[in-house]
Amino acid sequence: MKQFAKMAIPYAIWAAVMIAIPMLMILLYAITESGNGVVTLKFTLDNFIYFLTDPALLRVLMTSFKIAIYTTILCILIGYPAAYFMSKLNEKYRTTVLLLITLPTWINMLVRTYAWMGMLQVDGLFAQILGMLGIGDVQLIGTEGAVIFVMVYNFLPFMILQIYTSLSKMDKSYLEAASDLGANKVQSFWRVTFPLSLPGVISGITLVFLPAASTFQISQLIGQGSVPMIGNLIESFFLKTGDWNKGSAISLIMAVIIMFSMYLAKKVDKDPSTRGRI
Amino acid sequence: MKKLLTLVSAAFLLTACSGGGSQEAIDKYGSDTLKVFNWGEYIGEDVIENFEEEFGVTVIYENFLSNEEMYTKLQTGDSYDVLVPSDYMIERLIQEDMLQPLDLSLIPNIDNLAEGVKNLPYDPNNEYSVPYFWGSVGIVYNKNNVPLELLEEQGFAIMQKTDYKGRIYMYDSERDSFMIALKALGYSMNTSNEDEINEAYEWLVQINQTMEPAYVTDEVIDYMANGVKDLAIVYSGDAAYILSENEDMGYYCPEEGTNLWSDAMVIPANAENPKLAHEFINYILSYDASYANSNHVGYASSNQEVLDELSSGMYADNEAYIPRSGYEKDEVFVYNKDLTAKLSELWVKVKIAE
Repeated sequence: MKQFAKMAIPYAIWAAVMIAIPMLMILLYAITESGNGVVTLKFTLDNFIYFLTDPALLRVLMTSFKIAIYTTILCILIGYPAAYFMSKLNEKYRTTVLLLITLPTWINMLVRTYAWMGMLQVDGLFAQILGMLGIGDVQLIGTEGAVIFVMVYNFLPFMILQIYTSLSKMDKSYLEAASDLGANKVQSFWRVTFPLSLPGVISGITLVFLPAASTFQISQLIGQGSVPMIGNLIESFFLKTGDWNKGSAISLIMAVIIMFSMYLAKKVDKDPSTRGRI
Repeated sequence: MKKLLTLVSAAFLLTACSGGGSQEAIDKYGSDTLKVFNWGEYIGEDVIENFEEEFGVTVIYENFLSNEEMYTKLQTGDSYDVLVPSDYMIERLIQEDMLQPLDLSLIPNIDNLAEGVKNLPYDPNNEYSVPYFWGSVGIVYNKNNVPLELLEEQGFAIMQKTDYKGRIYMYDSERDSFMIALKALGYSMNTSNEDEINEAYEWLVQINQTMEPAYVTDEVIDYMANGVKDLAIVYSGDAAYILSENEDMGYYCPEEGTNLWSDAMVIPANAENPKLAHEFINYILSYDASYANSNHVGYASSNQEVLDELSSGMYADNEAYIPRSGYEKDEVFVYNKDLTAKLSELWVKVKIAE
């Protein structure tokens, strides 16, 4: 076995260079002040204080999480039934439906977002359809609703696939046992199928919530700069103001909050009260 | 996206063009390759090729998207022979000893310079720089929806008129946004007075709170050419393009003054091939190259003859092509390091203010 352990060395180096060192750099930037030379490092907590004491910046953080949570909830509400019916489908059709769902992801996300930008534009396709229906002049682009809509569109396949995988892995004999013991269809769904599919839902949440909370292109392109999210703040601190220290501090705060929410999600996943009903 | 494409194609060109130089060029200039670093979408179609043919050299042509990006690349040690930064960045490069003085005897075409770009304050005697394009910043407006009289009466403050709520594009850059705010309030755009800057900040915040503005950069060109909204802050050269695409659009520079900017060619101190660089600068100033550039890109030429010809020809009815002169309150940006940092931080806050 010992010689196999050596095979992990390239991976360890890769992980160190691509993950650990950049994270440490972010940490270092976050707790130092910007000086001209790297030599004159001065440690400070000002970057965190700057962020945590500014109501406007905190509001952006709240907006980001609000948008990410709405996106995730919508993805579950749309994705779960979709995945459920897919898992009930005849084998023949499953692959086709699966293909249809993954098809959009073959195209770059940015390109798809640009397409939505055109359709949601003032005088764009959607505005024209709404106009024909007599709803009139509704501003779509540049609104929170539009940002959430495009995010749900972009991230929905990840949710569906995760839930679908866990549903189709499920042992059907549990359902037979449940009906033998007198459970009706609704009861057996809530007490057998749903708890068993939770791991899929949780990993779906991870895959949707993380990119939704930290996106900056969708909020820039669809929000037209008027739906600022935390990703846009980080971007402007790094690229526009050139203040890497504050940008790093914000990234770090964001990372901590996300890690904490992931920890909570995993905890729900492992909680015996949600598992033990089988 | 367009710029990304340019960048990619530039990279292809780079690999495709290696090895076209001649011994003659090496004897004359000491080398047969020239590295040029210019803005994206900023040169006529065959200008580089013609230069290569005429002088038997190879040009490595790269693009940047902002002055700051160019500056960062220089700092990381990349060496170029010719750069085309803007006024305030040239001032900074001069201050930091990153440029070399020009030998004007090698640039006889400097006599072609347009009146408007002579004796610019950042480099009064063209000791370090030779202008490339120049222009102003103004308002592109839909003539059917916005009366010119109202624009003349309001100036930049029209961006605060709630009649146009949700119908405006702001330019997503702190320099240009603070410029219009300071001008609207009657201050100098180069002020470092805290109170004036705070007032400008509040002015911009008010727009964010009441006008539902969209913050865009280059997208504005397509949007306004398609007439998506009524008002937009736009650079004159982009405006010239918008006006030529959509005849409903007009361009207006408020009386209260605006930013007159210019981009100019300079030779960095660490240039490997300054002799050929001088030849290139001279070539760009020639009638043919200047005409090709300005005709293609839409920005005002630094060559007087080209300027006269295009403004009476192709751009005759296009009020955005020629930058105006004779307005006392028009200003040129001055480089101020602390101010730049402060404004960019405030700009982040303007966009998130509620």
